[in-house]
Amino acid sequence: MSQSPAQVVGMGTVLDHVRTPQEVALPHVVEFRNVTKTYNAGKADEFTAIRDVTFVVEDVVGKGEFICVLGPSGCGKSTILRSIAGLEPQHPATSGEVLVLGQPVVGPGSDRGMVFQDYTSFDHRTVLENVTFGLECLHTPRRQRDELGREWIHKMGLNVATDAHKYPHELSGGMRQRVAIARTLILKPRIILMDEPFGALDPLTRLNMQDLLVKLWKEVQATVFFITHSIEEAVFLGDRVYLMSNSPGTILEELKIEPATSSANEMQRQPKFLEAVYYIRDKITKLESNQ
Amino acid sequence: MNSSFLDRLLRNWLTLRRPVSRLQAIGLGVACILLCLTGWWLLTQGAAESRLVGPLTLPSPAETFSKFSELWNDFALTRNVLVTLRRVSIGFALALMIGIPIGVTAGCFPRIHAFLSPLIMIGRNVPLAAVLPLMIFIFGAGEKNKVMFIFVASVAFVISDAARAIMDVSARYIDTAYTLGASRWQTISKVLVPLAAPTIFSACRQMFGLAFGYIMLAESIKIADEVGGLGYQIQIFQRRGFREHIYLIILVIPMVALVIDQVLAWIQRQLFPHLYGGDGMLRSLVRITVIPWESLKSLIFYRTPVSLSSAATEERPK
Ligand SMILES: Nc1ncnc2c1ncn2[C@@H]1O[C@H](COP(=O)(O)OP(=O)(O)OP(=O)(O)O)[C@@H](O)[C@H]1O
Ligand SMILES: [Mg+2]
Repeated sequence: MSQSPAQVVGMGTVLDHVRTPQEVALPHVVEFRNVTKTYNAGKADEFTAIRDVTFVVEDVVGKGEFICVLGPSGCGKSTILRSIAGLEPQHPATSGEVLVLGQPVVGPGSDRGMVFQDYTSFDHRTVLENVTFGLECLHTPRRQRDELGREWIHKMGLNVATDAHKYPHELSGGMRQRVAIARTLILKPRIILMDEPFGALDPLTRLNMQDLLVKLWKEVQATVFFITHSIEEAVFLGDRVYLMSNSPGTILEELKIEPATSSANEMQRQPKFLEAVYYIRDKITKLESNQ
Repeated sequence: MNSSFLDRLLRNWLTLRRPVSRLQAIGLGVACILLCLTGWWLLTQGAAESRLVGPLTLPSPAETFSKFSELWNDFALTRNVLVTLRRVSIGFALALMIGIPIGVTAGCFPRIHAFLSPLIMIGRNVPLAAVLPLMIFIFGAGEKNKVMFIFVASVAFVISDAARAIMDVSARYIDTAYTLGASRWQTISKVLVPLAAPTIFSACRQMFGLAFGYIMLAESIKIADEVGGLGYQIQIFQRRGFREHIYLIILVIPMVALVIDQVLAWIQRQLFPHLYGGDGMLRSLVRITVIPWESLKSLIFYRTPVSLSSAATEERPK
């Protein structure tokens, strides 16, 4: 890949190449080594979703990094995320290695929490029971987990008194997604995987959720993988942005982004924020027209 | 003017899937019953010879209902209903107790499903007319053959419906449970089964109605001793030519079925408040009974969750 050396675009810096595991000195939280995933391998409808994907996320001391993944639809973003989670059929990879904290991923676990785009609240459980599901699986005594559950319901901006005993179908989409996030964060996972979690929310709710997420992320100190179609969202939230190419997907560019200094709504008016956004938008437009 | 009135009426009454108020629903049902009764009365009014339908085919409403006290007293209607209900309940309960665990297992593990599918196939298509004599050969003339008949007639359906319900739970719930740290067993018991339970319950509620019909078939086979039950009674009335009684039984059975179905519907509402609203009395009851068991497990298995300790930060490689 011949690209010009590191280029500054507003808040972002485009690295001259996507870093490989060998170049990064700090411990690796997540690394992909030449990962290829072919669905239905060997059958008539075999399809290679990602090819030869290599990247590394380092363990920044004292805080996890916030990684955003952008790319055209169908380029394999969810495939990468679900491989990290260890979920079938994305796991296991057809070839290459997926490592988390230096260990190969063998299956799903609560150290890698996941928030999905479509609401996956357990419909038969109340908000509180949803939030404390993971603790219940750890056999945490009821009183202790209910207490923690209420704390998290409150942190997510829900009303403990009125909402804790509602069922998911009584909640709006935004509230359900808050429950899903609380349910994941309460377990303090080392890695949080989010697949377009705000995709179905209206723009205003979305901005509020972004601010909330930043606040909570700082608190739990996890490495976040965040897939989104919104470039603004990626630039606001991300410490790093991965740009993916068309399928079979690879990571085309890695951008380092300056941390945001104010709320989502305010950041999105600043010229250097916009400069980064426009740069990425042009890239993606070009990618999509090449499809 | 006239057409617009008709138009409006049709629009109002026949709007696609517009919900009906409870009062109106009952009113419409009663109207249907009255209409049928009137038709029945018209067909059978007047002297026996001048009726549109002869009394041998269809007795008049008055003739029929006048036999009710006889049916109730001399033919011990309540006792027979209870005998029939007991048989079908035991047989069906047995089918649920064996069928649901097998069905759930088959739904969770496709290999087990594949292994069992020939048996399920045979069970679902077994000719009931052939099962009946077999049950009598195997279990003799007593109660057992009837109970087992109901069991055999319904168990395969219970298994396949339970399996289907589990398989229909969206995979994303399993993914979610796994990423929250649930084990396979926890995913089955805390996610798959509770999410499939309403579907399984509905299916079983319908099947109970069918089983209630089957049992009368089993009861109508005459074996040496007196067996009792509605099917047996119908058999007697047939031999004696008691048309009125048979018509009455035909009217009584749906009412019994209705009462049972309403009870089941109530249970369903109380078990699954997330689908039917309400305060979920039975659900709370179930949960209360689980709490001691759960606390016991907490005592044994409790590991300090990372969220309560500083493990999350300690674990980080420096
Ligand atoms: N289970 C599967 N079996 C076969 N093909 C699949 C499967 N899952 C995904 N694919 C294919 O792999 C490609 C990448 O899918 P993936 O879901 O990773 O894309 P994505 O980048 O998340 O897209 P989007 O932005 O639309 O969510 C798509 O073309 C899709 O059709
Ligand atoms: Mg996707």
